[in-house]
Amino acid sequence: MGGEVTARHLVLVAAVVQGAFVAALLLLIVVNRWVRLRRRAAIQPRREAAEQEFRRWAAGDSDVAAVANALVPLPASIAIERLAAWSTRVPVDRWPALAEALSRARWGEKLRRSARSRRWWRRLQSARFLAAAGIAEDVPKLARLIRDPHPAVHLAAVSALNHVNSAELAEAAIDQLPVLPLHVGMYFAMALRRGRQVAVPLFDQRLTRFDDPALPRFAEYAARLQEPSLRPRFTALAKHPNKEVRAQAARALGALPHAESQAALLALLKDEAWVVRAQAARGLGLLGAHQALPGLRKALRDPEWWVRLRAALALTRFGGAGRDALLLEERGPDAGARNVTELVLGLSPQALAEYAT
Amino acid sequence: MTHLIIAVEFIILVYFLALNSFYGLLLLMSIPEVWEQTRLAEDEDLQKLMLSDALPPLTIMVPAHNEGETIETSVTAMLTLEYRQYEVVVVNDGSKDDTIQHLRDAFDLYEVPRIYPETIITQPIRAVYRSRSRTRLTVIDKENGGKADALNAAINASRYPLVIAVDADTLIEPDALLRLTRPFLLGGNVAAVGGTIRVANDCTVEHGRVLDPRVPRSFLPGIQVVEYLRAFLFGRLGWNRLGGNLIISGAFGLFRREYLLTIGGYLTNSVVEDMDVVVRLHRHLREKKIPYVMPFIPDPVAWTEVPSTVAVLSRQRERWHRGLIASVWTYRDMLFNPRYGQVGVVAVPFFVFGEMLAPVVEVVGYVIAVLAVATGRVDPVFAILFFLFAWGYGLCLSIWGVVLEETSFRKYRRSGDLGRLLLYAMLENFGYRQCTVWWRLKAFWAAWRRRKTWGEMTRTGFGGPPRQSRLYAQSPSGMWQKVE
Repeated sequence: MGGEVTARHLVLVAAVVQGAFVAALLLLIVVNRWVRLRRRAAIQPRREAAEQEFRRWAAGDSDVAAVANALVPLPASIAIERLAAWSTRVPVDRWPALAEALSRARWGEKLRRSARSRRWWRRLQSARFLAAAGIAEDVPKLARLIRDPHPAVHLAAVSALNHVNSAELAEAAIDQLPVLPLHVGMYFAMALRRGRQVAVPLFDQRLTRFDDPALPRFAEYAARLQEPSLRPRFTALAKHPNKEVRAQAARALGALPHAESQAALLALLKDEAWVVRAQAARGLGLLGAHQALPGLRKALRDPEWWVRLRAALALTRFGGAGRDALLLEERGPDAGARNVTELVLGLSPQALAEYAT
Repeated sequence: MTHLIIAVEFIILVYFLALNSFYGLLLLMSIPEVWEQTRLAEDEDLQKLMLSDALPPLTIMVPAHNEGETIETSVTAMLTLEYRQYEVVVVNDGSKDDTIQHLRDAFDLYEVPRIYPETIITQPIRAVYRSRSRTRLTVIDKENGGKADALNAAINASRYPLVIAVDADTLIEPDALLRLTRPFLLGGNVAAVGGTIRVANDCTVEHGRVLDPRVPRSFLPGIQVVEYLRAFLFGRLGWNRLGGNLIISGAFGLFRREYLLTIGGYLTNSVVEDMDVVVRLHRHLREKKIPYVMPFIPDPVAWTEVPSTVAVLSRQRERWHRGLIASVWTYRDMLFNPRYGQVGVVAVPFFVFGEMLAPVVEVVGYVIAVLAVATGRVDPVFAILFFLFAWGYGLCLSIWGVVLEETSFRKYRRSGDLGRLLLYAMLENFGYRQCTVWWRLKAFWAAWRRRKTWGEMTRTGFGGPPRQSRLYAQSPSGMWQKVE
């Protein structure tokens, strides 16, 4: 005590601190293993009990209160996981009764409150719970969660469209479409397809907003619904000044067989933008209307390679007539048409099936 | 002379403190990162999304050279991964053995015309094949041009927007592709994603799948398990938070194809084409002011065999370091260049001073310490304490890697495996580390002589007899070696 502090002392202190840290880490590893083992041993019987209660309820041998009680002793994450799994197995008309019972359970209330948490993982848990067991009064919370900035949260929340038919939810999801990355947008579109009853009228409105900069995105995702009642909208969009909108309209019309679709696509086959012409050729191939044969044959001589390829692939869907057209062009005067028909006629049926979709 | 020793001592001490503080920072950064990644990996909704049609289609690119014995098993395993829409493009890079014949027989190949443009120039393509039995498979037979050239041929042939480069003998976990695409679903403009490489030595492997992960009993492969854990679970996760992941494993990394095409694909004359391609991607995206992220995610796993003899390991490490030196030299203008953001200001300087120069500083440190003790300038007890302190710090970092593994993904469930991991973590700094320093130091001499040989490596294979082949192995620091 009172002696001089030397570098040796400092290093000694550092070594002691390090030793303590290493010991703490080793202890952490051991405790972590021990806790996991104990936790698993404790949870497994409760999980099985809950599962059995779900089975009995699904078979009509038990009531919702028993299921709600069986979920109480489980950790929230496991209870939610079981709820989500069973929500797809139980008939739709019976599920709301369980959701209602869970809304009164204390852990259900707690999870509902977490919808406003500042921690994304709490909001995620809330979104997962509400997506599986949300009731009508949860719609505003779910709509907010669908607009949540954290991707995992809004992905979880949009699953609610599988169970809850709400225009407010569908609108929240549609609002998000233009700002979402493509693949997430596609997932949203799939959820909207399942909730098409409420989604279609909303898309119908959006497709009339000709000046909306997000129109190409709405057209793209609306096309994925393949909804016949939206066909007049897409026919109108075929004349939109924005080429991307026209291309999306052509893509959509190919999946909506109708004389008007065919007429619109034939007009789009002469569009100034090659992306639109290519989509129109593809769409006409999908429709398979024989009146389109001359137009498609002419498109084989298009200056753009992609249009020629799309037209050639489309012609393969017309049976003998299409094949004859391809064979004629293969020996025709246009080098571009010869090249692309040679290529497409050389493809195996398997390759054609892959390319022609 | 004394002044010189004092100055060098001071520089080394500052270097030691700065580098270890940075490692401490990486350690801290890895905590929230591993926590978040574990949560996301367990998220059921994300898993549902990953099983849906919304996933981006992707191409697995498999360069193969003299892989006749194993190619059928490897490709079959790759064709049966859990993913909705993907294709496998195998490039037979001028094999001298019967690789192409094995592929023809196993997958009923038929020749098709080449309809894609050769955006990146490669060695001549002999033929392109599709399979009658596996519609996802395309095989390209080309003249030998090396791994980078084979990958470039696969990029040209790829039909999908995302591409993954894997080795023919890398074992990919069935759900690894699903997990690897997670960042694309979580938003942001993802340019590339890196997954984890683990050591497959001593693991039970059947039909190209690791069924029972084990920590090897032999010292050399075992110690590399600790190295890999530290490099992937703590190093790269930490870099995620610092925004400058300079490394995406060449053995298992996902790239946006359009970006690879824009930068001209892999460089065929690079020793470490995977590091090179990542640095060039950073450079290109920063220069063009394209916002992007290049995250590393720990849960998608690919397994690879690591060297089990000193001779092979020494060549491997020497090559990796030679590649690092070459890359750093090539892209030296990025060093401390704020134009390249965190990559230029943090990542590249770290790789120069913390990785490339580390063996030099360490050796100088040993020499100076001996000199200082010999001349009586430093108390021997203090010197020993200081070295113990340095060893303790290394030990903490290694054990931290094990802690992250234990608290997150826990691939090694047996207590015996855990015991071995901890033992190797403790032994790593005695002898093994000094050997790696020496091997890496030799790389400077080789780089100075502009040596471009690749060396030779023997792999025992997964259940098969030992074989020598050109291998494309992955280092924990992310660099490729090519071995003939």
